Amino acid sequence: MSVKPVIIGLAAAVAIGLSFSVTAADTSSWKEKTVSGETDEAMHLEPDYENGRDVYEVCSACHMPEGWGFTDGTFPQLAGQHRPVLIKQLADIRALNRDNPTMYPFALPESIGDAQALADVTAYIAKLKMNPENGKGEWAEGTPEFEQGKKLYADNCVRCHGDHGEGNVEKFYPRIEGQHYAYMLRQFEWIRDGKRRNANPDMVEQIKNFTDKDMKMVINYISRVPVKKEDLAPSADWKNPDFD
Amino acid sequence: MLEPLPFCMLSNLQCCEVFNMRKIVTFAVAVTAMASMMVGSAVSAADGAALFKAKTCWSCHGKDAKTPLMPFYPSLAGQNADYMYNQMVDIKSGARSNGQTAAMKGVMGLVNEAEMRTLADWLATLN
Repeated sequence: MSVKPVIIGLAAAVAIGLSFSVTAADTSSWKEKTVSGETDEAMHLEPDYENGRDVYEVCSACHMPEGWGFTDGTFPQLAGQHRPVLIKQLADIRALNRDNPTMYPFALPESIGDAQALADVTAYIAKLKMNPENGKGEWAEGTPEFEQGKKLYADNCVRCHGDHGEGNVEKFYPRIEGQHYAYMLRQFEWIRDGKRRNANPDMVEQIKNFTDKDMKMVINYISRVPVKKEDLAPSADWKNPDFD
Repeated sequence: MLEPLPFCMLSNLQCCEVFNMRKIVTFAVAVTAMASMMVGSAVSAADGAALFKAKTCWSCHGKDAKTPLMPFYPSLAGQNADYMYNQMVDIKSGARSNGQTAAMKGVMGLVNEAEMRTLADWLATLN
């Protein structure tokens, strides 16, 4: 549980940098229905990276010390996710805007702390390097299903999630590149079918006519889009030295 | 992993009827059974503890299996092994869906029935 002073210094610098982009966040019309007041509150607090690491210890039991979750999709990869996305989902889960019975008790203030804890832990998570071997769909590049998924992505997803699934920090759009296939598939289905209550209504509308096969093909494609090397851990065997 | 003992005995009994070597086979079965119980229990203790962490059970049930995250989550240390095994199987299949099971169902894809057995047997040995 020891972090080198250099890393703390670096993290502080990054955290200050992050706080600028975070205050500029705009949730537009989506905000009215799905962004809890606590999201706004946490977004305007100065994150304490070191405390964030301590808070993350609770999360690490399921999301793993590296923040990689499970490649089978049981738990999502959190590492490298945008802070506003993480803050919003945490706040939504504990405000019961998003149903997640497994995570709910962990997200409660008694377990992880108040809005400041949300600000802190998300600063820590966003800086974690990603799993270089995320869970992927079954269709390799060159297969008809991969190509169809690529087309579906270009036609339906790229406007919000970006060319390579980088999302949008200001608009709370998640980074989906490098995420585990099975996790994305489950969330996509829940968004399409109305089970994910805090979904962006624009996305629900956009994907309403996707068949199950369409859904698998588009998620297969994005699960296979390579993530920038500097955002990845050196290997899938890398262990987070902050925890042992 | 070793074969479960009951299947092992059954197939050997069928065997001995065919070959009329009942005594020899019975002796062999007994030796095998003892060996598998000895090896089996050693494997289970190590596996059970490792699975309890790796499959994230401890996140909710506590590192000592008796300090649950929420006061209404069950304490598992020393609980009846077959009872725990049956709950795991039923929660995974959806046969049991009441109470707090929604919190647990989402993680059950991480364990198969052999791992549930190992977990249940190990948890039952804890104080």
